[in-house]
Amino acid sequence: MKILVVDDSKIGRMSIIKSLEVVKPDVEVFQAVNGLEAVEIFKKERPSAVFLDLTMPVMDGYEALKQIMEVDKNAQVIVVSADIQSEAKLRVLASGAKNMYPKPINDENMVQIFKQDLSL
Amino acid sequence: MNLEFNEDQIDTLREFINISMGAATASLANLLDAFGTMHIPKIEICNSNELAQKIKSTIDLKSMYYATKQLFTGKFGGECMFIISEDSAKNLGRHLYNVTIPSRDDINDAVIELTNILTSTIVSRLTQELNTQVQFFVPSSQFIDANSIVHCEDVSDYSKIIIISTILDFKDQKINGNVYILTKDEAIESLRVLIDKRIEEIYG
Repeated sequence: MKILVVDDSKIGRMSIIKSLEVVKPDVEVFQAVNGLEAVEIFKKERPSAVFLDLTMPVMDGYEALKQIMEVDKNAQVIVVSADIQSEAKLRVLASGAKNMYPKPINDENMVQIFKQDLSL
Repeated sequence: MNLEFNEDQIDTLREFINISMGAATASLANLLDAFGTMHIPKIEICNSNELAQKIKSTIDLKSMYYATKQLFTGKFGGECMFIISEDSAKNLGRHLYNVTIPSRDDINDAVIELTNILTSTIVSRLTQELNTQVQFFVPSSQFIDANSIVHCEDVSDYSKIIIISTILDFKDQKINGNVYILTKDEAIESLRVLIDKRIEEIYG
């Protein structure tokens, strides 16, 4: 299974990958450092799920989510963001994200994501 | 004393500030019943005599400002400074008190309320990420011109300063301000040690 992790922060990506390794050790992880790179990798690799940050340079997570959903309306995107405003969550859910979690994500969140949010 | 930060340490600090600013923005969004746009934090290590110029380069020099400063001590000690222009502060007063022309007292109260929530949430959340604790001092607020925000005597005892800056941005309400976390010399070394511990935990 391919998973795309998108965050401009290396430690942000690593904390997600660390939880992925605990909960789903067999996944193949791809990394992107901004929304533009994420869309390109998504088109090429068609990952089963995307973990997407919102506040990023070049292209933010809102725009990346929109473009990913245009490529595949069934894309399974989990937003992981420092922005914990309810309106931010409403916006990403309205754009097609499966769920949104506050940073930093932990192993319990990851278990919940694979149990409840993603249909893989 | 090693006051330099490597790429991973800067990345980690920026991410922790991002998380802290997210918590603060959410608290203020509740207070203002509004949506705040988040921005990527900027981290700079500079000589103390460069501080005034660095701050002046991020603000409009023609405006008057409310500048609130709050000291905190502990393993990670420093000063959190929030700068909001007179116009933005008026908009904050209008919005919070639902009046067309807020009084100077209304504006002062609104700025202090906003600053208290902002600085305490940012620093508390940051220290939580760093697995440490700090003690806060009572904040002080001034209504001053851009050139008077940083006085030489504020920073003359220190050689290096880390400036962590980000923007509070409620676009629809035309309320925005600049947040700076200043930490100096021994605190920079402590901060580096705390960050290294967290990197070790996350990277395993």
